[in-house]
Amino acid sequence: MKWKNFLIAFGIEIATFCVCMIVDLLLDMKMLTPMIFILGVFLVSRYTEGYFYGIAASIASVLLVNYAFTFPYFAFDFAPTVSFISAVCMMTVTFITSTMTTQIKRQSQVKAENQREKMRANLLRAISHDLRTPLTSIRGACSVLLEDGASLSDAQRRTLLAEMQENSDWLVRMVENLLTVTRISADGGVKINKSPVVLEELTESAISKFNKQHPEHPVRVDIPEEFILIPMDAILIEQVLVNLLENAVQHAKGMTELCFSAKVDGTEAIFAVEDDGAGIPEDRLPNLFSGYLGSERIPADNRKHNMGIGLSVCSTIIHAHGGTISAENRPEGGARFRFSLPLEEKKDEQ
Amino acid sequence: MSNNKYRILVVEDERSINSLVEAILTANGYQAILAQTGAQAQIMAVSFQPDLILLDLGLPDMDGQDLIRLIRNEFSIPVIVVSARTDERDKVKALDLGASDYVTKPFGSAELLARIRANLRDCLRNRESGMPQEAFHAGDLGIDFGKRRVTLLEQEIPFTQTEFNILALLARHAGKVLTHETVIKTIWGNSDPGNVKKLQVNMANIRKKLGETPGATHYIFTEIGVGYRMLEEES
Repeated sequence: MKWKNFLIAFGIEIATFCVCMIVDLLLDMKMLTPMIFILGVFLVSRYTEGYFYGIAASIASVLLVNYAFTFPYFAFDFAPTVSFISAVCMMTVTFITSTMTTQIKRQSQVKAENQREKMRANLLRAISHDLRTPLTSIRGACSVLLEDGASLSDAQRRTLLAEMQENSDWLVRMVENLLTVTRISADGGVKINKSPVVLEELTESAISKFNKQHPEHPVRVDIPEEFILIPMDAILIEQVLVNLLENAVQHAKGMTELCFSAKVDGTEAIFAVEDDGAGIPEDRLPNLFSGYLGSERIPADNRKHNMGIGLSVCSTIIHAHGGTISAENRPEGGARFRFSLPLEEKKDEQ
Repeated sequence: MSNNKYRILVVEDERSINSLVEAILTANGYQAILAQTGAQAQIMAVSFQPDLILLDLGLPDMDGQDLIRLIRNEFSIPVIVVSARTDERDKVKALDLGASDYVTKPFGSAELLARIRANLRDCLRNRESGMPQEAFHAGDLGIDFGKRRVTLLEQEIPFTQTEFNILALLARHAGKVLTHETVIKTIWGNSDPGNVKKLQVNMANIRKKLGETPGATHYIFTEIGVGYRMLEEES
């Protein structure tokens, strides 16, 4: 990395010099030489970082033009005003180009930084909003039990405790999702560990996990009978399945049937989670997976306190696997979430 | 021995979880011994001779994996690893190093107690190796180890040699997780990773013969990324 700038600058200068020699020898057009060198210096300033290599290249260019391409040939001669003026021109071009490119680079860096900062702020706001509701409920139930526990009936106490358990389960899943996101997006690098997983085993594990949380919503399973191996990080894909099923429970109002299906289509496996609930509002479809909605979009009475972190986790995981994910409303009503996973490990992955 | 309570060493540095586990254990007739560091755990393991160790992998003073190795060198008592879901790989490593089972945080008391029960029984059975188990019954499933017969609802189901061996292995350790590596080593005598697929195919056949489908699993549970666990026998 350290040598990259040097190599770029050096390469461009050599190339410039060679082009000039060729032009000079073949066409005998000396007037082109300074122009070609200016182009060279411009390119160096553009493609190296900071000022140093640009200025070094322009000094080298002035010396080379002076030495090789102006009379007396192959000797230095600093007297003529011509070479002095061309030197000044070149320095100016270099300086301005370097300044500009450096500035542009910095600006885009600052912009990306701002973008990231904004995302982080949005995420934090979403999380704190999402955490507050269940925490308030748990905290409230605790204080009731501690302070007025004696005057409550057994059934009332059990209801409070069950609610506490449900809310803390929700918090746990939320934290797991967040941990997954940070694990996958840390350093921008993706560290997923694929190994061949039996479709049936994955399905069984995910469905039984979901059933434990939501015994009131049986899932209809439709997967091929054959023995199918799919390369994946099973823990993460299981999380995607559970998130999608849970998303249906939370958002598909009036759902009577929840269905999970999977099939093999050519070089990929296609999974689908479908419900017959209220469907997804059209205006939310385009950025369903991009995560955290702005605070202005949180409905004041959002009891389900879920801002789509689960779905953006799904999208992060699937993309890290080299697959795709999409959501649509079914013509017969309800929502369908679909994702695909490549069946064959691409060689250039990792 | 029988009127003595089982002693369980709980190695966990977080006080709130410590007191929670202690409450669950004492309420269910176990004696809990608490250690908050790996060093303490080693001393207590020697002086109290616990029947089982419940070990959190994230200890302040040493790597949980190292502690498992140290414990394994000196004792043959079961070690149940307590881990967060995100340490999936640490968990598998711990099992391969000789931990006997795991529970994932956050766990319910029923789950914790089931693990402890299954592992204590498994350990006891290993010690009384003179008296091999003759039969296994759970739900509608019956296995006769001597006659190598499997019945479901009194109907005999034909199994191949390998399938029966796998099923019998799982049944003998019912309630306890068996990693892919453990099963492969026991059934095929080596740990060639190429055998994972063989195991997966055999498991698929076993599930089919037992009528297990995703969402309606009764006997063999997949612990994804780890291994398999058989339903506990009724006592």
